[in-house]
Amino acid sequence: MSKEQNSIGKSVVDLPANVTRSIFRNPLPSSDRGRAATSFTNFFLHVQPVRVSRQALRPSYTMGLGLISFFLFVILTVTGVLLMFYYVPSTTQAYDRMLDLRSSVVFGVILRNMHRWAAHGMVACVFLHMCRVFFTGSYKPPREFNWVIGVCLFGLTLLSSFTGYLLPWDQLAFWAITVGTSIAGYAPLVGKAIKFILLGDATVGQEALLRFYVLHVVVLPLVLTIFVAVHFWRIRKDGGLAKPETEAAPKRVPVQVEIQEDAVPIAASGSVAVAAPVRKFTIQGLVRGPLIKVGKLEEDTVFSWPNLLIAELVVLLLTIAGVMLVSFFFNAPLEQPVNVMHPPNPAKAPWYFLGLQEQVSYSAFWGGIGVPGIEVLLLLLLPYIDRGKEGVGRWFARQRIFANSIFLFFVLVNIYLIVIGTFFRGANWQFVSPF
Amino acid sequence: MGMTATETRSTEPQIGRRRFLAWLSGLGIAGSAALGSLATFFFIRPRTTYGQPNRFKIGRPDEFPSGSRIAIDPKRVCIVREGNKVAAISTTCTHLGCIIAPSATGFQCPCHGSRFDVDGNVTGGPAPKALAWYAVTLTPSGELEVDKDNEIQTGTYLSV
Ligand code: HEM
Ligand code: FES
Repeated sequence: MSKEQNSIGKSVVDLPANVTRSIFRNPLPSSDRGRAATSFTNFFLHVQPVRVSRQALRPSYTMGLGLISFFLFVILTVTGVLLMFYYVPSTTQAYDRMLDLRSSVVFGVILRNMHRWAAHGMVACVFLHMCRVFFTGSYKPPREFNWVIGVCLFGLTLLSSFTGYLLPWDQLAFWAITVGTSIAGYAPLVGKAIKFILLGDATVGQEALLRFYVLHVVVLPLVLTIFVAVHFWRIRKDGGLAKPETEAAPKRVPVQVEIQEDAVPIAASGSVAVAAPVRKFTIQGLVRGPLIKVGKLEEDTVFSWPNLLIAELVVLLLTIAGVMLVSFFFNAPLEQPVNVMHPPNPAKAPWYFLGLQEQVSYSAFWGGIGVPGIEVLLLLLLPYIDRGKEGVGRWFARQRIFANSIFLFFVLVNIYLIVIGTFFRGANWQFVSPF
Repeated sequence: MGMTATETRSTEPQIGRRRFLAWLSGLGIAGSAALGSLATFFFIRPRTTYGQPNRFKIGRPDEFPSGSRIAIDPKRVCIVREGNKVAAISTTCTHLGCIIAPSATGFQCPCHGSRFDVDGNVTGGPAPKALAWYAVTLTPSGELEVDKDNEIQTGTYLSV
């Protein structure tokens, strides 16, 4: 320890560098070792794998749908917390607060629009993401349970949207929730109790508004966050995204990585830099602990830094841009304030429940509880029913034509019902032509 | 050798105790979780509601002339009077809870097109069951009182 090292002057001069180094444990990586180290020395990056398969990075493979869903959730959290500063969950004030957002709150309209369109977008993207996972056969072992978690995430996403729907307290909100909770009331045995607990009263009113508010801003986002965390953690533990069987097992060869020992050691500071020799490592030399079971990886992988990171940033940028763009041009709807005496005719649920409502118009029990219940059960059990190992990691693999056809059939039927419910139903739920 | 054996014997009860404690705490935590869930369930299920009372007065019998079918939307009942007989029929659609309106042939729901006859029996649309009839009584003050907690058989009138 020389005197000079402790001098105030040097502390001041070194301040920026010292602060930076205390925050970022790893300098911007310039070597393969550094690229690996970034992934486990940074809290926000340690979710990422060290290396990622080229296939997972191909936009045409995942279409980034899971990631877009996640980013939409982040946007929803940020805009939602901001909206909370002005919103009051009271039947006498909620609607006025919506008008205030339009008239007197700076950027109120754009925030409300972003929140609304991101919510619709998230429902759509989560659904499409589920379709992607199905059509690429990515729910096969060891990913069965992550599929189940995914189904829960889909349900939580729908519930979040549904509870948020009531909050503006306009005609649309009131009647959509009246119809929606009545559907819940049809469940055998527990239906009436569930409906009563959900509404806190016999009909939709102040109690229901407060309950939906608490569910929407605290309970569901919290549960959703936990499930998303487990979802992501399991993707890592399941060895990243599913890969085609032909490319997976046989070609597992040790990847040789050439390493120039870093001139600036990671932990120590200020000491004399030693020119380190170039050394060759296999990948397990870089990765400590139980992170990777065998030190062998497929050849067809690249470092996450910067490849995966750049891809993620681009998707984030596009997601934000998309939401902003839509929010600039289209205003979130706000109808007349609630009038308990006059249901709009027809009273329609949110679009993603219109397929359900269309089914309900044929049979309340089967349309609202029976068929959807069977569908959810099939979704949950799917990876335990379909045990075939072929056609994993490829879109529409020929070996999976049977499973894919069945799933496509269900998807198309549901889209068909939603389209009918949205565009072809008029007063008294009579068939009308939009043309 | 003997030493090891002694050690094994001496640690035996300790492991037993530990195991017992582990079971006990496991049981305790599981029990607390079960009781906690139950308590939460009773907590969030309201005992009293802040909404409208289910038992309410609707006015004197002569406010409902014979042959009239007057819907009281805020209360969600329709008061039917025929001669000296009075009844209260629910105007909450049994399909999905929209408010139905009296029509020429009975009742009509604006939401999914359910239709009911004058007694509330389903004549068309998705409604699964007939409209409820509620008990009507004459209070000592001479007013009619409807009790929506008391569903009675279709066609049961109160004579006034
Ligand atoms: C809040 C909703 C969800 C979020 C934020 C989310 C996020 C993600 C992300 C970021 C990935 C990485 C790959 C990709 O981007 O496609 C992924 C993969 C996966 N997701 Fe989701 N997801 C959600 C819902 C679902 C649903 C509804 C399912 C299915 C029912 C599902 C099943 C899976 C499976 C099995 C994988 C692994 C796919 C593979 O190995 O190729 N997820 N998810
Ligand atoms: S609520 Fe009356 S027909 Fe659906």
